[in-house]
Amino acid sequence: MVFSSLLFLFRFLPAVLVVYFLVPRRFRNLVLFLFSLLFYAWGEPVYIVLMLVSILVSYTGGIVVDRMKKSGRPGAAKTALIVSSVISLSLLGFFKYADFAINTVNSITGAGLALLNIALPIGISFYTFQTMSYTIDVYRGEAEVQKNLISFGTYVVMFPQLIAGPIVQYKTIDQQLRSRRETSEEFAAGVHRFMIGLGKKVLLANNAGALWDTIRTMTYAELPAATAWMGLAAYSFQLYFDFSAYSDMAIGLGHMFGFRFLENFNYPYISKSITEFWRRWHISLSTWFRDYVYIPLGGNRVNTLRHIRNIFVVWLLTGIWHGANWNFVIWGVYYGILLLVEKFFLGKYLKKLPAVFQHIYCIFFVMIGWNLFVFEDMGLGLGFMRALFGGYGQGFANEETLYLLYNNLILLVMLILGSTHLPKRIGEKICAVISGSDVAVILVRNIFYAAIFILSVAWLVDASFNPFLYFRF
Amino acid sequence: MNRRQSWNINTLFLILIFGFTIATLIKPDQEYSESENRTLAQMPEPTVETVFNGEFESDYETYLTDQFVARDAWIGLKTDVERLMLKSESNDIYFADDDYLIEKHTGAFTSDTAELNPRILGQFAEMYQEQFGTEHMTFMVVPNAVEILDDKLPLLASPYDQEKYLEQIRAELPDGTWFDTAAILRDHKEEEIFYRTDHHWETLAAFYVYQAWAEQKGYEVPSEDDFEIETASDSFEGTIQSKLGIDTRKDTLELYLPKEDLFYTVQTDEGAPVEYSVYDRTALETKSKYDVFFGGNHAMVNIATRADTGRKLLVIKDSYAHCFVPFLLKEFDAIDMLDIRYYNQKVSELIQNGGYTDILFLYNASGFAEDTSISRLTY
Repeated sequence: MVFSSLLFLFRFLPAVLVVYFLVPRRFRNLVLFLFSLLFYAWGEPVYIVLMLVSILVSYTGGIVVDRMKKSGRPGAAKTALIVSSVISLSLLGFFKYADFAINTVNSITGAGLALLNIALPIGISFYTFQTMSYTIDVYRGEAEVQKNLISFGTYVVMFPQLIAGPIVQYKTIDQQLRSRRETSEEFAAGVHRFMIGLGKKVLLANNAGALWDTIRTMTYAELPAATAWMGLAAYSFQLYFDFSAYSDMAIGLGHMFGFRFLENFNYPYISKSITEFWRRWHISLSTWFRDYVYIPLGGNRVNTLRHIRNIFVVWLLTGIWHGANWNFVIWGVYYGILLLVEKFFLGKYLKKLPAVFQHIYCIFFVMIGWNLFVFEDMGLGLGFMRALFGGYGQGFANEETLYLLYNNLILLVMLILGSTHLPKRIGEKICAVISGSDVAVILVRNIFYAAIFILSVAWLVDASFNPFLYFRF
Repeated sequence: MNRRQSWNINTLFLILIFGFTIATLIKPDQEYSESENRTLAQMPEPTVETVFNGEFESDYETYLTDQFVARDAWIGLKTDVERLMLKSESNDIYFADDDYLIEKHTGAFTSDTAELNPRILGQFAEMYQEQFGTEHMTFMVVPNAVEILDDKLPLLASPYDQEKYLEQIRAELPDGTWFDTAAILRDHKEEEIFYRTDHHWETLAAFYVYQAWAEQKGYEVPSEDDFEIETASDSFEGTIQSKLGIDTRKDTLELYLPKEDLFYTVQTDEGAPVEYSVYDRTALETKSKYDVFFGGNHAMVNIATRADTGRKLLVIKDSYAHCFVPFLLKEFDAIDMLDIRYYNQKVSELIQNGGYTDILFLYNASGFAEDTSISRLTY
């Protein structure tokens, strides 16, 4: 199930709210757990078993690791951690990467092995990373062991963050799982955040996606450069608004149930360098790789050669995490190289440039990155890239470019402005000006959020373009 | 945010969520949408099998969307907002000049089916070329409004060039069997030849094409004076309007009734009662007023006349033919209208046993390009 659907808004959400707030506090985790299973099962009735196995593995792993540590047997604790991690990673590896591996072997050796044709279980990359972080944190003594299976299960399957993140680390919500207070202020903050996310997804991301879809399906050899760039910009906006909208809705829903998840996006497109971009984009994933891969490998506190190796390991993994395909590997390595170049060479010169050039530099390479990212068929991707640089001799723009531009001008302006702090600042300014009057604040806010909601529902009822982008993750 | 502000936003949220939830629950399910002219999805029955393969879940979501309270108003709201955002199209439909809503048909002519159909049509023509002779076979594929009314399209709009596709079809057919309707329609593009809100051509367009065809075939060429032109409806809102759900200028639907008395019988499908008119006026009371011609689509319609010309015609067609065929009644003793989309017997047997002297193939361009049943022609 996805948040941006009539099913979620008018069946699932009201049901879970009613049951959650009617039952006594001690049953609330159980309610969340059961509803989250339903949420997941709606699209993946069979793979729910896989998720439950994954939960049991880490749950048991955590308990064994904890017991071994407390009984003074660190070696046994480490073994338990390794066993549990290997099982988790094997499940992920099998269900996500088996066919990719077979394909690769086939294309290198011509072996012609039969594909397994396994459908990717939704959210497996997200929940595997969550369960692994828990066991590792218990081993490191950074998290308390959770002996209550329901509470632990709730952490993993909690529907707000289950299928598209953020990747919540257990230690950040341990206390909230044991005791939390839902208040009307928290709930209201959650409503705001959820509405913003809903609007970003349905009104901005989907419309940007429709523009991208129009251009993506054209014949690239007939594409003038400006049309290709408009298409790539549309995709860049679609991915950001879609992905960050899911995080917004997740964080908002979390608030409604008394949870505080960490932020996952921080206006990535205003970055002035690739290094900064990755501090602002999908923060929970970068943090995960930093904490559980980069730093354990020694991070930057090793000699230069090892440091470079560490960076490449992290970015290879980041690439492949996004999908079992070579284009994601290349996309990851691409960022590894860019970050190295910035770190050891370009960074100090970059800072001396006027800010506008830093922005252009950053957004250019990010967009080229999305070109690598979006085409699983790399031949097609190269064809599109050729169109970006006018490689087909179709000139800069044609009538169609202008048609698409004037048809999407307001949308594109909204997308650009929406990628910056501006809307938030304007909102804060308005609220500051009218803050003397409660009624005015209430009126302005409620009309704004009601309008977003009503328009989103209109787009959902029309059932037009509404894709889910993270089936590959 | 203070307490009062929190309570207010929470109340609003809960009213929206629960309000629409309750409204969707108490609203009785509809079988059929008049405005969209289609049957709506109904509550699916869950079975162990459909729940586990995900079919029930996906059917239930379709059901929820189809049966959503005030569905038309929501879709209309979306279209209105898109127009406010200066969009000159919505749901693949252009907001064209002079209140025309014109379908773009994106992708219709570049699919595998579109690629294949001209070749199948060519094979079909070849199969029967000897039996009928090329002068007794006519293939018409009528371009859609988007091709003919190009002057009315939004600034710089560049939809697919249907002429290219029509040329592709013509190239597959034996010489002398292709009838170029595009040129005729283009000559009359300033007149009311396409509906503003519906995907069909108007009776006037069919009339012009018939005149030209009759002349080519040496039939009696009618003039407008031969007909009583009746405005059957001036409040027609067709299929394109349904996709947008907005208020727009309504269409006028005209019938060309011959002044001369014609006696003929019409039987739609086997076992249906014999009628004495090609018009089903009950359709004018419904949303789909174009069904006034022959009461809509049927696998087979048999018409018998007293023309006494010794000619018997097989029309292989989609609904574009429905306003065209009434002009043929004086030229053929019998006319059979075959809709292969609904016909599940062998076309070859029909043609061998039907005793036909002539074949007319009449489709609209996007309908032809998208029709996956064209392959049945050569069975």
